Amino acid sequence: MFQLDELQHDALVELFNQGVGQAAAAMSQIVHEEVTMSVPLITFQSRAEVAQELGGPEARRICAVTQTYQGAFNTEAMLMFPEEKSLEIVRLMVGQSVTMEELSEMEQEAMSEIGNIILNSCMSTLANIAGKELHGSLPIYRIGTSDQILGSSDNQWSGMVLTLKIDFNIEKHEINGYVAFLLDTTALHDLQAYLQQYLSGLMP
Amino acid sequence: MIASDSSLEVQLALLNSVLKAARVGMIVLDSQERVVLWNQWMEQHAFCSSESVFGKSFVELYPELTNGRAHNAIKGALKDNFASLISQTLNKAPFPLFANADDRLVGTRIQQAVQVMPIDLPSHLPLQQHCLIQITDVSMAVAREKQLRDLAMELQGQIFADGLTGIPNRRRFDEHMEGEFRRAKRASTPLSLIMIDVDSFKDYNDNYGHQKGDECLILIAAALSRILGRPCDLVARYGGEEFMAVLPNTNADGALVFAESMRNEIASLAIEHAYSKVAPHVTISLGVITQIPSHNTAIPHLIGAADRALYQAKRNGRNCVVVHGDKPKTAASPAAA
Repeated sequence: MFQLDELQHDALVELFNQGVGQAAAAMSQIVHEEVTMSVPLITFQSRAEVAQELGGPEARRICAVTQTYQGAFNTEAMLMFPEEKSLEIVRLMVGQSVTMEELSEMEQEAMSEIGNIILNSCMSTLANIAGKELHGSLPIYRIGTSDQILGSSDNQWSGMVLTLKIDFNIEKHEINGYVAFLLDTTALHDLQAYLQQYLSGLMP
Repeated sequence: MIASDSSLEVQLALLNSVLKAARVGMIVLDSQERVVLWNQWMEQHAFCSSESVFGKSFVELYPELTNGRAHNAIKGALKDNFASLISQTLNKAPFPLFANADDRLVGTRIQQAVQVMPIDLPSHLPLQQHCLIQITDVSMAVAREKQLRDLAMELQGQIFADGLTGIPNRRRFDEHMEGEFRRAKRASTPLSLIMIDVDSFKDYNDNYGHQKGDECLILIAAALSRILGRPCDLVARYGGEEFMAVLPNTNADGALVFAESMRNEIASLAIEHAYSKVAPHVTISLGVITQIPSHNTAIPHLIGAADRALYQAKRNGRNCVVVHGDKPKTAASPAAA
């Protein structure tokens, strides 16, 4: 199984914290309220493991915003929340008291923007250390079981999922979400190489 | 993509016409954030010609957007090649774009969904990174959702309000009761329930007519609601001339105080009732139950107990309060009517 060494792992956590920090600042600017985000934990797991952890025993519905990135390394990135948490986030961000049971078209777009900000910020810090071009697509909003979102029924795929737990704080509410990057073997090794290159740059 | 079997001149003319016909706003900025493309939709809704904006930087054109969300998205597209979505919901109409001259006069902007995309250019061309800003008019969708939301609000109000008296209805009571019952169970706090019935109401209706009867119920509903002040308290119309009050976190003594105030309040309305068997005016009887819900109690038990206490109050001569569990004789005394 793929693993980073301790230094690489710590560097990645640090980089993601920088990334979500920037995303939080961007979101604070939008809502004129303090938004904070941190990444306490990152793990490498199989798709099935992530799907199981996210869906829970009752296979609850997941709301996801996905984007693909290509260049320095290729990945499909996704921000995921249990459906009811996505309602809560949008309600807090938009300041609307009445929310229907599902996100409306305009609310879905707001959710997509939140995902867009977080994913781009995370990837931006990685593109920086890679020093190579990384192209990002527009976000796509999806809803479904965690298996559907992660496509874990596809047995051909042999990569790993890099998952970040995200603590999202707004208006005294704490909401936990996940950011996941689907990385195939090549992408995993590219990522590791960039981290190593970044670390050796820090310690001449 | 465009078919390449025609001359470059024809292809270019075709592309230009397409840009002209497109019903979205398109702005292309070069690596220095200067405008190099501004389509006709933009001319029409920004009220400025492409000639007047060519070569100007984004910040020059929109100084108020400097380092805002849209500007940062542009920087992200030019520097990092990242695409961004700027939603109408989170960013209220960032660009000063107007449907027509009248809207421009009063300052009503088009509702916008904005996408900022890096533009991939063939590597053999001596061009630096560019980005495309696409602006879609979502005013219709926004209006439609507002309408839906307003309707949902109104419906929600209607579903839970009693049509005659305007106070919460039985459906609202059931929902509220369920929530409070669960809360009381979890926190082991007392929950009180008061069942209220208007005395000799059939005689009132029969003699004064249904219209007067309705008016009487409206007055009573309003008076009962006045007594309860805490946000978690609720008075609902339960049926015909029956009402229910839910008092969370209230012990038996507290509930008795509330019940007595209700009884006094209705008496003090002094609604004439010449055919009452108890008093010359309209009065009510009340049954009270207080319980700390446990695993072997359920809401129907609680309602049943309130109902039995109310029945006892009727038997004790009406216009009085009976607390469930008290011995039949110790009911609160009927007030001097």
